[in-house]
Amino acid sequence: MKSAPFEHHEPESVSEAVSLLESLDDPTILAGGQSLVPMLRFRLANPDVVVDINGIDSLEYLREEDGYLKLGALARHADVEDSDLIDERYGSFADTAPLVADPQIRNRGTVVGSVAQADPKGDWGSVLIAHDGEVVVEGPDGERAIPADEFFLLPYDTTLGEEELITEARVPTPADREGSAYHKLKRKTGDYAMAGVAARLRFDDDGRIESAGIGMTAVDITNARASEAEEALEGERPSPELFEEAGELAAEASNPESDEHGDASYKERMVDVLAQRALGDAAERAGAVKRRVTQ
Amino acid sequence: MSSEPDNPDVPDAETEYQHPEDDGPDPEKHCGHGRGGMGEEVSRKEDKRFITGRGDYVDDIKKPGMLHCEIVRSPHAHARIEEIDGSRAMAMDDVVAVLTADDLLEHDLATMPTLMDDTQDVLVNDKVKFQSQEVAAVIAKDRYAAKDGAEKVEVEYDVLDPVVDAEEALKEDAPLVRDELEDQEDNHIFDWDTGNEEETQRAFDAADVTVEEDMEYQRLHPAPIETCGAVADWDPGKDKMTVHMTSQAPHAHRTLFSQVSGIPEHKVRIVSPDVGGGFGNKVPIYPGYVVAAAASYVLEQPVKWVEERSENIQTTGFARDYEMTGEIAATEDGEIEAVRVDVLANHGAYNAAAQPSKFPAGFFNIFTGSYDIDAAYGSLTAAFTNTAPGGVAYRCSFRVTEAVYLIERMVKVLADELDMDPTEVRRKNFIPSDAFPYESATGWNYDSGDYEKALDKALEMADYEEYREEQRRRIENDADKLLGIGVSSFTEVVGAGPGKQCDIAGIEMFDSADLRVNPTGNAVLRVGVQTQGQGHETTFAQIVAEELGMDVDDIVVEHGDTDTEPYGLGTYGSRSTPVAGAAAAVAARKVRDKAKSIAANELEAAEEDIEWDRESGEFHVAGAPDRSITITEIAAGAFMNHPDQEEPGLEATNYYDPPEMTYPFGSYVVVVEVDRETGEVEFEKFVAVDDCGNRINPMIIEGQIHGGLAQGIGTAMLEEVTYDDNGNVTGGDFMNYLLPTANEIPNFETGHTVTPSPHHPIGAKGVGESPTVGSPPAIVNAVTDAMSHAGVSHVEMPMTPDRVWKTLSEHGLDIGPADNVAFEFDDDGAGEPADD
Ligand SMILES: Cc1cc2nc3c(=O)[nH]c(=O)nc-3n(C[C@H](O)[C@H](O)[C@H](O)COP(=O)(O)OP(=O)(O)OC[C@H]3O[C@@H](n4cnc5c(N)ncnc54)[C@H](O)[C@@H]3O)c2cc1C
Repeated sequence: MKSAPFEHHEPESVSEAVSLLESLDDPTILAGGQSLVPMLRFRLANPDVVVDINGIDSLEYLREEDGYLKLGALARHADVEDSDLIDERYGSFADTAPLVADPQIRNRGTVVGSVAQADPKGDWGSVLIAHDGEVVVEGPDGERAIPADEFFLLPYDTTLGEEELITEARVPTPADREGSAYHKLKRKTGDYAMAGVAARLRFDDDGRIESAGIGMTAVDITNARASEAEEALEGERPSPELFEEAGELAAEASNPESDEHGDASYKERMVDVLAQRALGDAAERAGAVKRRVTQ
Repeated sequence: MSSEPDNPDVPDAETEYQHPEDDGPDPEKHCGHGRGGMGEEVSRKEDKRFITGRGDYVDDIKKPGMLHCEIVRSPHAHARIEEIDGSRAMAMDDVVAVLTADDLLEHDLATMPTLMDDTQDVLVNDKVKFQSQEVAAVIAKDRYAAKDGAEKVEVEYDVLDPVVDAEEALKEDAPLVRDELEDQEDNHIFDWDTGNEEETQRAFDAADVTVEEDMEYQRLHPAPIETCGAVADWDPGKDKMTVHMTSQAPHAHRTLFSQVSGIPEHKVRIVSPDVGGGFGNKVPIYPGYVVAAAASYVLEQPVKWVEERSENIQTTGFARDYEMTGEIAATEDGEIEAVRVDVLANHGAYNAAAQPSKFPAGFFNIFTGSYDIDAAYGSLTAAFTNTAPGGVAYRCSFRVTEAVYLIERMVKVLADELDMDPTEVRRKNFIPSDAFPYESATGWNYDSGDYEKALDKALEMADYEEYREEQRRRIENDADKLLGIGVSSFTEVVGAGPGKQCDIAGIEMFDSADLRVNPTGNAVLRVGVQTQGQGHETTFAQIVAEELGMDVDDIVVEHGDTDTEPYGLGTYGSRSTPVAGAAAAVAARKVRDKAKSIAANELEAAEEDIEWDRESGEFHVAGAPDRSITITEIAAGAFMNHPDQEEPGLEATNYYDPPEMTYPFGSYVVVVEVDRETGEVEFEKFVAVDDCGNRINPMIIEGQIHGGLAQGIGTAMLEEVTYDDNGNVTGGDFMNYLLPTANEIPNFETGHTVTPSPHHPIGAKGVGESPTVGSPPAIVNAVTDAMSHAGVSHVEMPMTPDRVWKTLSEHGLDIGPADNVAFEFDDDGAGEPADD
């Protein structure tokens, strides 16, 4: 790794980190390094100062607390992948973790770092959106929570302040009749998504969809919400026709670009397919339907 | 390229060693005799050092006072250099020098010849011709400082319009890539044709059926896991240049280095240490090597240059990039009467194809493949574009991959047109096994083959008929996943020479082996080829073990150092076993011949009475098997008690010029599932039956097959070096140039048949490249086969989900998830049953 020279700081607490961020000139936070180190290596990032948060033990957690699933800033993709709690209750997280990059990268890379990176091809942003999640940040003015919808601005650009550190990503714990899923289309293992869709469905006692969340990956300038599709679902009973309609609305809401891996028209169509698949899984996991392949 | 079976260039004595009295190893029962000879699965000798991290690669080399070189590259694909200012870089603490073309001109090192006799800038002199071309070099005390320095070199460019596509390049108003060449008024490099045009046209005119298909063999990169690099060390005391470099052909590179630099060849030493994969990428000379050597010469200190991954993909030899149109003329019942092909080749900014044959398109004219076709004609045009130069033989003989792809695809296209099973068409047209040696319509002289046998075996292993049934069932049931079955029955041509037909810079493509037996009975074999993972240190030791009855552990194989190894032309084109392997066998037989006279001396018998027993690996006195002696025992005698009429010592050298190429072949069967919702392709079954003649180490062969099949999958499904219209490489790193991983690779089922080469001393043929050559058409045939019932005849590589899905949708085969899923609802009324 032939990066430009930089200064390396290793705070051991969140407050120490925040005061470093405040006092140093233009600092860059280093978490798992799986996005930052490649950027240093290509000299796309040339920071003078790096604040390495890997020594802050208090940020290493993944737990349910106060009605939230909370992922500390040092929860790695692999921690999500290995968690029984995730397996039991968070279908979309369980689907996503093994689809992020490859095992080596998952051992180091963090969920929060991925969200902070704000790559529109990153998977976790869509999951947060589908779950109405938030990022919790700590700065000179104390703590604040930013809803996922308000966090992403542009590719690699967020509403995080320069002197702020994300300490946690969190989503509300699911209700009884709630299920979620993530479907991702990629060309090979370790590759980013050509398109991805996270879906979450909560059902009322009557079997109607009480709340729906759909987040989309790699098909807009940021991870994006498919609001019209969500609205079309809410208040309805699940059916192939309903999911078909939602899939179409999600595809319409998407805004992909053509690249060497696929044309925009194809990606739009795949949003439709992936949304329907994710909705089917989410409904099934909520215990609302059993799916049966007709052949 | 056909030559008489009795090649007059092969002296009798050689023929004698080639086909010795004892007939050589027996293909039916060669079992290595328990000593690690032919046919034994000996563990690879090289693995211990690789697995325990003790390999020694160019980048592991550290020398006292060693400096580091970083190359400044052009961000533009086509631009004139107005000015280069290295002063800010020079002002940095650890920067020692900034080199530009002007500095190289002083030493006459500003340009270098390519393997096709073109002249390439080492550092751009006037005009940049492709993105990332070498513009300047920074030499610094460590590699970080070199990189920091390179960022500070300021280059002013006058940006020009580039041309990226070969077809565009040949249009009248296209930007001129090579304006420095006199007489070059357009981007046209050469036209070439082969075969008989009129005869072929007549066959087409008279044919019942003709088919035609356009297909592109996309630009690939060999992408060896170790990138290219060198440590150059000029010794002003000895006036000697030593270059450790990633070379597949150290001796040829020594000769070229000497020619470029003017340093006499005996004062140049090239060492190719452990090499982390070559695949043809390490056959050419690259500017980085020359810059490192020039810098070492000027600064009188060792200089290391090791390129980064994207530099490797963006600037060093690419492969393929052929736009082809294939045509077949046939009878109604599927007999092929003629084949015709037209090619447009993109050679990049310089004509630098790695291509040692006398033909500008290499062995492309083997496009009649495994079939007995009377009339054939091929034409090809090559063009310059503002893309990196290349056209190397990526894990294949020169352009045979493109040829095999063409014919194996076209046979499938014909079968679909005739509504015949593609295996039926193949059988109808195979060169019959009793027709060998066979001369093809374009003049190739095939040594041996039994194509039907290999196909039968592959079909049986693959449960071909059952899959055909299943395929029909799925079509009838309108299933959401279609099944496709693809076959290819390819013939490779490997083992260049013969020297009369193939050369590098005029040096005929023989190869060499030098075998020296030590007084204590073990031996050192030095060869002129260079392993990059092929397992030569094991395989060649097995050949010697077989021929001398020695234990394989008692033979060490050395390669890669031009100061100690006999001259050779290197490893690529599956030539090592056909050529250097033959040399090793012949050298061993010469040693055995001399050993015979020592045996007579030791056993106190007349030489005529001494017999060699291949089975026991001993000489014995005729009629008295107890009076025997091994080579190991004889070795002592050669040094301590040598017969009066012989020189002391026990050694022999052989330079082997093969009388012909060898023609390995095989049949691959691939079964895929195509997802009608997404266009994703999954492998259901992958059967590979190979025939490489007599097999030396079956385990190594299997490893070679697995690796090559993985690369074939990469080719068919994932890989392409892409450019945008401005000439920017958009597929120039591993985020965008997608290599397959273990996850993308299905379980391979391998099988083999054995049809020995009649002219090779141990009946062997090359094998390392068969799978890369043979598998892409099988995979594409499988994917098209899944959709051929709807009229699909072709899908371009790489077969991305996007491309496959578009093909599905254009032919009405695409579906959405709702078409196939019904919902059932829980009893507690959580939902209502949907309509059907
Ligand atoms: C080959 C490859 C394939 C990949 N494939 C995928 C994929 O398929 N899907 C996917 O989602 N991702 C993928 N990634 C990215 C991977 O998930 C990264 O781990 C992730 O994007 C960044 O997490 P990190 O912990 O490594 O962050 P780092 O690389 O350390 O940091 C990334 C950015 O976030 C900032 N940052 C990190 N933590 C914080 C914090 N607590 N507060 C504020 N800012 C912070 C850093 O300053 C930096 O700008 C891939 C990466 C690679 C190299």
